[in-house]
Amino acid sequence: MMDRQLVEEVTRMVVERMGEKKPEARARLWSHNDKAPSYEAVGQEREEEEVGGKAKLSSFPKAEKSPPSRTEETENDSGDLKELIKKTPARIGVGRAGVRPKTKTWLKFRYDHAAAVDAVFGQVDSSLLETLDLFTVRTKVTDQDTYIRRPDYGRRLSEEGEKKILDSCRKRPSVQIIVSDGLSSKAVDENLEDVYLSLNQSLEALGIETGTPFYIDKGRVAVMDHVGEILEPDVVCLLVGERPGLVSAESMSAYLCYRPRIGTIESERQVVSNIHRGGTPPVEAGAYLGSVIEKILDYGASGVELVKKEG
Amino acid sequence: MAGTEVILSAGIDIGTSTTKIVISRLSLRNTAGQTHMPRIEITDTEVIYESPIFRTPLKGDTSIDMAQVEDLISREYKNAGVEPGDIQTGAVIITGETATKSNAREMIDRLSTHAGEFLVATAGPDLEGIIAAKGSGAYALSRKTNKTVANIDIGGGTANTAVYKHGNLLGTCTLHVGGKLVEFENGTVSYTAPAVDQLAKEHNWTFEQGESISREILNELAGCMKEAVIGMLKGTMKESPLLIGQPPEWKEDIDIIMFSGGVAECIYNEESCKEKGIYDDIGPTLAEVLRNSSELGEFEWRVPDETVRATVLGAGTQTTEISGSTIQVDEGTLPLRNIPVAEFRFSGEWKEDIDRLDYFLEQALTLYDPEREGNAFAVYFDDIPLLGFKTIQELGDRLAELYSKYHINTPLIIVMERDLAKSLGQSLHIRHKEMEIVCIDQIRVENGDYIDVSTPLNSEVVPVVIKTLTFHGGEEE
Repeated sequence: MMDRQLVEEVTRMVVERMGEKKPEARARLWSHNDKAPSYEAVGQEREEEEVGGKAKLSSFPKAEKSPPSRTEETENDSGDLKELIKKTPARIGVGRAGVRPKTKTWLKFRYDHAAAVDAVFGQVDSSLLETLDLFTVRTKVTDQDTYIRRPDYGRRLSEEGEKKILDSCRKRPSVQIIVSDGLSSKAVDENLEDVYLSLNQSLEALGIETGTPFYIDKGRVAVMDHVGEILEPDVVCLLVGERPGLVSAESMSAYLCYRPRIGTIESERQVVSNIHRGGTPPVEAGAYLGSVIEKILDYGASGVELVKKEG
Repeated sequence: MAGTEVILSAGIDIGTSTTKIVISRLSLRNTAGQTHMPRIEITDTEVIYESPIFRTPLKGDTSIDMAQVEDLISREYKNAGVEPGDIQTGAVIITGETATKSNAREMIDRLSTHAGEFLVATAGPDLEGIIAAKGSGAYALSRKTNKTVANIDIGGGTANTAVYKHGNLLGTCTLHVGGKLVEFENGTVSYTAPAVDQLAKEHNWTFEQGESISREILNELAGCMKEAVIGMLKGTMKESPLLIGQPPEWKEDIDIIMFSGGVAECIYNEESCKEKGIYDDIGPTLAEVLRNSSELGEFEWRVPDETVRATVLGAGTQTTEISGSTIQVDEGTLPLRNIPVAEFRFSGEWKEDIDRLDYFLEQALTLYDPEREGNAFAVYFDDIPLLGFKTIQELGDRLAELYSKYHINTPLIIVMERDLAKSLGQSLHIRHKEMEIVCIDQIRVENGDYIDVSTPLNSEVVPVVIKTLTFHGGEEE
């Protein structure tokens, strides 16, 4: 057993060492450290842009970028690495500290994970729904835990909701637009305004009439079948938040179905996914959706049926 | 949208010494997944007809014999079994010294109408080097490796080099190095190019037309050309009578070299070149000197996919780009040909940018349509931010307002890289019904480029051919 005094002495020496700024000493401690590429986490290298959305999101504090080392040796390699980094949103080329990720990388990862969790458990900004003139109905889901545990509840409107849409909505329109938070309230906050307004403009340009739109709290995709059963539109277009991931917690999908009814099978639905600032621009997606809806109406089919009929 | 769409593309290369034609089939497919917005790409190119290599018909020393070229092309179209009307895209390239021959411009105009309505005409040594690098496979190789690849296309009159890394163009350079700079007839010199005459003066070589030339001088001359090629590749080149235009601007060291063009045929296939003995000029000597150079041997050599036909193949299969699938075009306005591009770069300050558009359009008008004759130009939105619905409308309204302020009667042509063309085009279309609009995306161009836009295909995309006439070295990312 080591003498207590010796332990204290060694500890003091190590602490002193750590206080000194001597890179050589660090290099000796972790020899694999000096070859680690000096790159920042991918997420910070990519610019994040603001969509003209209503909701305000706190943005992740941008860390200062430390310039990549400019030594002769690494210059070529980092050029190649940049090419690879450009090709994927995955966290590659982020460097390491010893055998662990760097603190910034790790924090970014934790942040993205937390954002994903928040997106699932968050609430859609009610002022956004007011601005777009969307009234709210509920599904059979009472609280968020039930929503996660009982997907079937998310597929049916509550009795109250059923009554409300029967009273407030025009029946048998060509297109019924509905919105739901699904698994990401942030997706709705960030993208709904642009997708919705652009989609409406596009339908107007094509001369396609729409019904009375509304918002469904805690809905699942197949809730569109229930809405179809009640209002009997030709096409239902459901704008819904996607399951969040670590690349984006605010991606939205548009599910489309020709005459959905209770019992409609999944192959009859079709989807335009990946609508967010880093994917398909929301405003462009809206403009595109109009032409997809036109096609569904023309062929009287959606999903696999539509592909078959198109030949 | 389902399945594959096929379009026919023609490539015609009228060079200093030879003329070639290829007809190819380009297959377009949606490469995006079922759940994404479609992304149409050229997924396959198949050459369905390759013409023999013809000697370029010339009238005297300085002009192309148009009637003969036209005959040749219509005969080859017949052999290939295609009508000019079947051709939907492609390029005519008038290369090397031929491009400086007096009637090249007229030739291009005539061919554009005879060889197919959507056929596009281009010229210029930078572009020639780029197209050859695409036809030879150098460009594709640079995308597959992390090496810097130089393609040196040595034809009759010039050597056009294009350097690529990771598929990005690093630079181009053109030299007076070619097979036809000295020509023979029955063992005596029948032609020497002015650049060669200048070299001869500097080195005190004497050879006159009609006289024979000594082996030593010929080797020395080819040696000078070789030195120019090495100087260019290594970036040590200074002033040289063999240099045309700018010295090389790329900074990266070159790893791999590839030769294409007529002389390359003799570099890689020494035997067949000697057997045939078809080249009665300095070409075979030049090829031998290049092949045996120890300094060039320091680079990694790769055999190209094509030698003589690299340029024509590049012209026929690699010049067409496909727009995004969500675009807005007035079909009556298309096709558009030879539209100059005015670049508007967004700074990130939205209000400022919207204000600045006024001055920008005024400048563009002064430049492209000073007499107000109705010459259309395209506006390229560079670095356009991700716009929301309201900002898109604001931008559209502003453009419409300015077009009416300046009484611009030509169609509003907008090109951008970011996928926003349909929303902007649709906003313009709905709110300003009187305007003719062509709004396309997923196309990257630069100030000073010219573009041709064909009519929409079934998959709702438009083929676009970009003609880069100027090149700013090293800026491309």
